[in-house]
Amino acid sequence: MSDTPPKAEQATPDTTALKVEGWNPGDDVIEIVRSPDPGPGRATWRTFRETARGLLTTFGRFTETPVTVEYPEEKTPVYPRFRGRHKLHRFEDSGLEKCVGCSLCAAACPADCIRVVAAENTPENRVSAGERYAAVYEINLSRCIFCGYCEVACPFDAITMGHDYELSDYDRSDLIFTKEMLLAEPLERTPLRNEGE
Amino acid sequence: MPRPESKMINFTIDGREVSAPEGAMLVDAAKHGDVEIPVFCYEPKLGQPVGACRMCLVEIEGIPKLQTGCSTPVRDGMVVYTETERVKVAQQSVVEFLLINHPLDCPVCDKGGECPLQDITFGWGGGISRFIEPKRHFVKPLELSPLIAIDRERCILCYRCVRFSQEISEDYQLVLLERGAHSYVSTFDGHPYVAPFSGNIVELCPVGALTSRPYRFRARPWDIEGAGSVCTLCPAQCNVTITVRDERALRVLARQNDEVDDGWLCDKGRFAYQSFHAEERITEPLIRDGGQLRPVTWERALEQAAGALKRAGANAAAIAGGQSTGEEGHLLARLMREGLGSPHLDSRRAGTLSLDAHRALGAPALQANVSDLEFAHAVLVLDTDPVNDASILDLRLRKGIRRRGLKLAVASPGPSSLDPSAALSIRFKPGAGAAFAAALSAALGASAELETLCGEAGVESAAVRELAELLRGPEPQQGADSELQPREVVILWGERLTAAPNAELGAGALLGIAEALDLANVEGAGMLEVPATANGRGLREAGVLPNAGPGLSQLQDAGRDSAAIAEGLAAGELSALYLLQCDPLRELADRALWERALAGASTVIAHASFLTDAINEHADVVFPAEAYPEKEGTLVHPDGRLQRLRPAIARPGSVRAGWHVIAELALRLGLDFDVLSGAMASRQLFEAVPFYSGLTLEEIGGRGVRWQEREAAAAFPAPASAPSGDGSFEEPADPGEAAGYRSVWDAPEVEHSPAFDFLFKTKELV
Repeated sequence: MSDTPPKAEQATPDTTALKVEGWNPGDDVIEIVRSPDPGPGRATWRTFRETARGLLTTFGRFTETPVTVEYPEEKTPVYPRFRGRHKLHRFEDSGLEKCVGCSLCAAACPADCIRVVAAENTPENRVSAGERYAAVYEINLSRCIFCGYCEVACPFDAITMGHDYELSDYDRSDLIFTKEMLLAEPLERTPLRNEGE
Repeated sequence: MPRPESKMINFTIDGREVSAPEGAMLVDAAKHGDVEIPVFCYEPKLGQPVGACRMCLVEIEGIPKLQTGCSTPVRDGMVVYTETERVKVAQQSVVEFLLINHPLDCPVCDKGGECPLQDITFGWGGGISRFIEPKRHFVKPLELSPLIAIDRERCILCYRCVRFSQEISEDYQLVLLERGAHSYVSTFDGHPYVAPFSGNIVELCPVGALTSRPYRFRARPWDIEGAGSVCTLCPAQCNVTITVRDERALRVLARQNDEVDDGWLCDKGRFAYQSFHAEERITEPLIRDGGQLRPVTWERALEQAAGALKRAGANAAAIAGGQSTGEEGHLLARLMREGLGSPHLDSRRAGTLSLDAHRALGAPALQANVSDLEFAHAVLVLDTDPVNDASILDLRLRKGIRRRGLKLAVASPGPSSLDPSAALSIRFKPGAGAAFAAALSAALGASAELETLCGEAGVESAAVRELAELLRGPEPQQGADSELQPREVVILWGERLTAAPNAELGAGALLGIAEALDLANVEGAGMLEVPATANGRGLREAGVLPNAGPGLSQLQDAGRDSAAIAEGLAAGELSALYLLQCDPLRELADRALWERALAGASTVIAHASFLTDAINEHADVVFPAEAYPEKEGTLVHPDGRLQRLRPAIARPGSVRAGWHVIAELALRLGLDFDVLSGAMASRQLFEAVPFYSGLTLEEIGGRGVRWQEREAAAAFPAPASAPSGDGSFEEPADPGEAAGYRSVWDAPEVEHSPAFDFLFKTKELV
């Protein structure tokens, strides 16, 4: 631009030292201001002091007991609101399933890992308390992101997030949990953190 | 009759200047300004609004009280407010009142997710309920009919279903009983609501009170996808949306196309989808081996079929059934004519009609369309019963009578469901349709033969004269109105009118009637044929006729028609028979002859979905046929509208596309059709038929396109000479329904749908 003040040119550091053939940085050079050189004695002391400070922390831990958890023999307790593997519930008095197969969990699921196929209750075959029940209820746990939206969406508190997080398996298809697996009383293998712990 | 004209007027809604058609209700007019007024009971398809639900209250300047937007026509300069405090309070109160007795069992309700009550409560409701008293209770769920479940607790008494039954289908079965909060929808004495169009109330219900029993709890709206297609189960070819979940058709809904179905659907179209997934459906090729049909690979079945066709050569014959697309018909015709040199090919049920008659009756100027049925001054239903031949036309005629002052005349051999609405009903002898038409033609032309023809048709000549008067209309009074409209008359005639042995007489009489009433030159008048099969018109235009090539072109030598094919097979003159989605014992005339013909045929090759008697006992090679939601191709509506079938679900088992199978067979006979996709097959058809030329699948689109309205229609061949209408009447050997014309409700799709089991149980009880 023609009206660029000449001041800018003066502020530009001397770039002659940076001159490389075919490269013109123009105004893009930043001048680095360095502190005064500490000198050899001071530098040695600085290095020693910082190393000692770090080692103080290291040796300070020598007296503490180990914190390693011997998993899987020993497990860290989880918080009550920890979101692990899902559970389906039954009514305690009648034994009927709480789930009516409304598919709202499937609609809420951001990972699209729930599949529900509903069917109608008949007097001979009464499965749930409502008119309909879930004939198929599958959660693909290899896809689930444990966000808990299904639990929030459920109008009957039929599905809740449990505490179990040990979900590895040898086969992906084994991670599709069926209704029977989700309804079954889960193995109590995850310790729960006590109040205030 | 003049079509309603739309003059635009201006009004103000929520401070915006909007122009809308004059006379439109505020609810509709508001949409022109992107304003939505919530409604429950208002449905334009149901005719006059009733203002039952009070959801659409709006404030109009100059009127002290709130007005219902659904029953207030918009006027020029009207100032409307839909978002004032008064309106909001009113809307919230209405929603609160409606929800007082509504059970709010949305999670178990089939409507949940596509429910207007949910949407409106969310959008216009108060969000809270103050009601703590016990709600009204009914026994639920109850069967309103074997197809429909009713949950009266959910009902908001909008009257839609009752209005449908009373004013649209006019079966007068549904009524509202009791008073006030105790009101409920029911039938007299709790009889099941069984009617040909009952399923429409499920779609009309704005809450989950009426639900489809076959669809009950099958899926929620977020589990499903909708796929638009066209129902091929009868010639009416209603537009449908197929609800698909996990590659299964779970429900069929109407897809509104005013030029075809007016947004309604019959119960056959709505509930027969279950047959597509029936256990009994053929899903792999079969070959007769030791007297039994056994599944084989496609290669073997094709080799065997091609071998048999090659051996038969010019002694092969083919019959295409109504569910096959125009493309399949066209390829089959090429296979027969080019591959085998055999002209024996038919798609009509009984008898040959001369090429000139086909051309004269199909002339573009003579064709009425479906909405002409509604707006005509008079309609003559001639030798057809809409509810049994093309169901949805029945509703269209009722609409015309109820709302447009249409005068209906019914002339049929048996009682018709339209009789109570008709201005005139005439019964003629079974099988004497052609004689009756000739008599009417004579009456219109004041011919002396009237008495003889009336005698042959078994009708009083006075009745025929009265009918002629009705069609002619009142004499224009002298000097009363110089701009008197020409009388629009539509003749809705059944294909059986041109059945053997009086095909020419029937065709000639029809043309005589058309000439006497000047149908070709009056806008909105014309003739509409109801073909005997769903795609009858499309197959004829594709050249599946013994005496016409693609586009009704002249052939060098004519072949045998279906009856002659049967005779030839029985006599051993023909050897192989190719049946494209056709069961001759069920669908064609003269069952005894066909029994002999099938037994006499050396090879019967069939495309079939179900092992019906003819296939099970006589077919040597069976190719599994596609159901219509699996098909790709085009159909032609009786009024000339090309409609497009799009695949909605995957083909089950190893089923292959029809065009694919025919092309593979042709390849084995040394003929390369160069068809690698359904779209290529369509293009070949459009190129082969001169009056389709230039058509593309895109142009057909979702609503179809009438070829008569395109420029290429000029290429429709004119008849070389006018067919003569003065042939004498010959008593048919097998009069009436036995002549191969069965109700569209009598179909394997109905038999194999569990939803329709009740129809057959009743029969057993009787």
